[in-house]
Amino acid sequence: MYVVGTHWRRQAALLLLLALFLPILAACGGQQGAAPEAPTEATEPTTETEAEAPTAADAEEEPTEADAEEEPTEETAAAEGDLLVVSAPDCEYGGILQEIAAIDEMTVQFTMCRPDPAFPVKAAFVPFSIQPSEHLEATDGSPLENPVGTGPYMVDTWDRGEQVVYSRFADYWGDPAQTETLVFRWSAEAAQRLLELQTGTVDAIDNPAPDDFVNAEEDENLQLIERAPLNIFYVGMNNTYPPFDNEQVRQAIAMGIDRRRIVDNFYPPGSSVATHFTPCAIPNACVGEEWYEYDPERARELLAEAGYPEGFETEIAYRDVVRSYLPEPGVVAQDLQAQLAEIGITTEINVMESGAFIAAADAGELEGLHLLGWNADYPDMTNFVDFHFGAGASQQFGEKFEDITSTLQEAASLADNEERRPLYEEANNLIKEHAPMVPIANGGSAVVYQADVAGAHASPLSNEYFAVVQPGERDTFVWMQNAEPISLYCADETDGESLRACEQVLEGLLRYEVGGTEVEPALATACEPSDDLTVWTCSLREGVMFHDGSELDANDVVMSWAVQWDASHPLHVGNTGAFTYFSALWGGFINEEGGDAAE
Amino acid sequence: MAVDVETVAISLPRRTAASPWRQALRRFSRQRSAIAGLLIIGTMILVAIFAPLIAPYDPEQVLLGIEDVGKRAPPCVHLLGCDEMQSQHIMGVDGNFRDQFSRVVYGTRVSLFIGFITVAVAMLAGVLLGAVAGYLGGWVEDVIMRILDVQLAFPFLLLAIAIVSVLGPGLMNAMLGIAIVTIPQYARVIRAGILATKEEEYAAAARAIGSSHPRILFRHILPNAISPLIVQGTLGIGIAILDVAALSFLGLGAQPPTPEWGSMLSSERNQVFSAPHLVFFPGMAIMLAVLGFNLLGDGLRDALDPRLKQ
Repeated sequence: MYVVGTHWRRQAALLLLLALFLPILAACGGQQGAAPEAPTEATEPTTETEAEAPTAADAEEEPTEADAEEEPTEETAAAEGDLLVVSAPDCEYGGILQEIAAIDEMTVQFTMCRPDPAFPVKAAFVPFSIQPSEHLEATDGSPLENPVGTGPYMVDTWDRGEQVVYSRFADYWGDPAQTETLVFRWSAEAAQRLLELQTGTVDAIDNPAPDDFVNAEEDENLQLIERAPLNIFYVGMNNTYPPFDNEQVRQAIAMGIDRRRIVDNFYPPGSSVATHFTPCAIPNACVGEEWYEYDPERARELLAEAGYPEGFETEIAYRDVVRSYLPEPGVVAQDLQAQLAEIGITTEINVMESGAFIAAADAGELEGLHLLGWNADYPDMTNFVDFHFGAGASQQFGEKFEDITSTLQEAASLADNEERRPLYEEANNLIKEHAPMVPIANGGSAVVYQADVAGAHASPLSNEYFAVVQPGERDTFVWMQNAEPISLYCADETDGESLRACEQVLEGLLRYEVGGTEVEPALATACEPSDDLTVWTCSLREGVMFHDGSELDANDVVMSWAVQWDASHPLHVGNTGAFTYFSALWGGFINEEGGDAAE
Repeated sequence: MAVDVETVAISLPRRTAASPWRQALRRFSRQRSAIAGLLIIGTMILVAIFAPLIAPYDPEQVLLGIEDVGKRAPPCVHLLGCDEMQSQHIMGVDGNFRDQFSRVVYGTRVSLFIGFITVAVAMLAGVLLGAVAGYLGGWVEDVIMRILDVQLAFPFLLLAIAIVSVLGPGLMNAMLGIAIVTIPQYARVIRAGILATKEEEYAAAARAIGSSHPRILFRHILPNAISPLIVQGTLGIGIAILDVAALSFLGLGAQPPTPEWGSMLSSERNQVFSAPHLVFFPGMAIMLAVLGFNLLGDGLRDALDPRLKQ
C-alpha cells in the first residue's frame, strides 16, 4: 500500500507539472503542428547561407507559372516570349496602374489608368527598388535579410540586435563607395548616440536630442547638419469612436491645443508650427486657409455645443520612439495632457510598443487621441495627403471623407502644379473643416558627423546616402540611428530606419539626389511620359550588375513591381504582406481577396 | 521544607527576565546601521505624510506661463547665491516645466505606497500558502510548493514584465505583478517557520485539548513563526520600490504625469549630460529608500534572531 501511495503521488505530481508547463509552452508558441497564420521573420531563412542556398534548379521548381496556369486569375501575368507583362483587366480595381510591360530587354512601360504626373517622384522611392527576379523566387518573395540590389554597397552580415555590416560592391555601375565597409548601428537613446559619437566609436548619428543641438554645434570635433523639416507631427483622431465622431469635438481639440507653445518649448531650432498638414516646402502644400488659431474659450464653447460641457475622458496613445517630427514624445504628450485639461478634457497617457502602436493606428483601433507623424518620402503633395486622406489610406482617422478623397484624386491626375493648386486649396480647407487630426509641428532635426568626415550631408527625406562620405583616413564608416531596421525588403516596410538601410543596397529606376529632393536617373537612364501622362516608358541602363553577378533586365523590373502589385502572386509575401506604400501610392492591388483594393 | 523554600526565594536576586520583544528592541537599538535605516524610513514617512506642506508646488503643475522658468532649469537655491529675482526651485525644473523638488517629495508618497501595498499583498498570499503547506504537509505541501518552485524558476523581473504586459501598463498592475512574483519568497519563509514550530509542545498541547486546525495554525503556530517574515517583509519593501521603479523606467509602471521616481528617471534619461539634476535626485531618492529598508531589515534580522542573543 505504501508503495502504491507513493507511486500515485509521484504520478499526480508529474501530471500537475505537465499541466503547468503545457499552457506555458503553448503560450510560447511551442505547440507542434500549429501553422503560423502569416509568414514571420522566424519562418524565413535567417542566414545568408540559407537564403542564398537555392540554386537555379530550386528556382525552376518555384510554382509561380504552374500555379498561374492552374488557377487563372483576372490579371494576365504571362510571359510573352521572354518578356513579362502584368496587367489589370480594367481600371475598376481602384488603382492607378493598368499595366507593367517589358517592351524589350532594356525597356519597361508603365501604363496608367489616369494621368500620373507624380510617377517619377514615386518611382524613385526605395520600396520600388529592383531585385533580380531569380532572387525573389529563391527567397519565396521575402528577401528580408539578404537583399540583392545594384547599389554601391551589398549586405555582408546582419547580427540581429547588434549591427548591419555592408561591404563595397566592386562592380557598381556608378561612382564606387568611398569606404570599403559601412556599418549600421542603432540606439533608441539620444544620450547614448551622442556619447558614442563623442567617444569616436561611431562616425555619425541621427537625431541628437533637441537640448544637444547647442552642445554638438559648439563641439569643434563634430559637425552638425540640420535637416530641412519636411515632416509633420499631428494629433490624430478616429471618427468612428465617440466623441470623435462629432466634428465639433474635433474642431474643439484643434482650437484647444497651443501649438506655438509646443514648438517653442519642445522642438529644436529649425522647427516651425504647422499651418497645414503638408510642409510648406512642397508645392501647393500651404494653399488654402491656415489652421485654427489657439482659442481655448471657443474650444470650450464647441465642446458644450457638441454635448460635452464638462468635457470628457479619453487617452493619448503614442510610441516612445524619437523621430524628427517628434523629438521628445513623452514630454510633448504630457504637455498636451496639461493643455487639454484646461478645456476640460481629461486624458490618460498610454505608451505603446512601436510596432503595436503603428499596427493599431493603421487598423483604426486607437479610440482616443494618438500622436503620430510623417516624414516626406518624396516631395509631392500626394505623399502626404493622399497617403493619409486618400482613397487608399489606412483606417487611422476612421471613415474616409468622400469630399476630400475625390478632390485629392482629381488633383493627383493633373500634371501642372498651377492646375492642381485650386484643388489642393479645396482639399486643405476640407481637411481643416473635418479636422481628422491637428497638425502641430514641422520638426527640425539634424545629423551629426565627426568633423573629419568628408561628404557629410543630411537629407530632407532622411535617406542619407553613405557611399559619398569619407571618414578621414578610416576605411569603415559607422552610422548610428534610432532603431534597428525591421527588414531589408523595403517593398514591405514603412519604417524610416529600414528604408535608410535599404537605400545603401537597393536602387530603383530613378532616385533622389544626394541630400536633396530632385529626381535623377538611376537604373533607368530616363523615364519618358506620353503626352497625356498615362504611359511612362523607362529605358534601362546598360551593363548594370546585381550583387549576385546577374545583369539587370526589364523582366527584373516587372517582377519587382508585380510581386507588390498582384495580391495573388505567389511571391506577394514580403514581411507582413501589407506592402503599404504600394497600396497607398498606386491606389491598391489587383486580385485582392474580397474585392477591390480601394473604394 | 517550607523554611528552605522561603530562604531560597529571599536569597535570589530580584531580576525578571526581559520579554523577547524587549530584548529584540535592545539589540536593535545597539545597531547604528539599523538606527540609520529607521531614521531614513521615518523621515520618508514624515515627508510622505506632510508632502502637501513640504512641496511648494503641485507635482503636476506646469509652470509654463505662470513663472519665468527655463525648461530643465538647474537648481536655484537663494541661500546658495541664486539670484533672488529667479523663482526658487531647489532641485530644478523638469522637461515639462514642473518643480522637480515637489515631484520628488510627492514621489515619496507613491513609492512608500508601492512598497507597503506590494509587500502586504505578496505577504498575505505567501503566508496563507506557506502556512497551509507547512502545517498540512503531504500532497498539499507538494502541490503548493512545486507550483511556487516553478514560479521561482522564472527570472524575477522578466516574469513581472510578462504579467504587466498581459494586464496592461499602469502602477496598480506593476504592483500586482511584483506582488505575484514575490509570493514564493514569503511562502517559503513562513513554511520553514511553520515546520520548525508545529512540533513544539504548545502546538501539541493545543491539539491535545481539541483545538481546531485553523486555531492551532493561526493562533498558536503562526505568531511564533512570524519573526523571519518581518525581516523578509522589510527587505521586500525596498526591493518592491526598486522593481516598480524599474518597471516604470521601462514604461510599464506608473504612467505620466504621476510623480513616480522610476518614471521620472525614465522620462529624463536622455538628459543625463545636459540636465543631470533631473536624473540625480530621483535616483538618489530611490537609493535612499532602498538603503533605508535594507538597513532596517538587516537590523531587524539581527535583533529578532535569538541565536544572536549573546
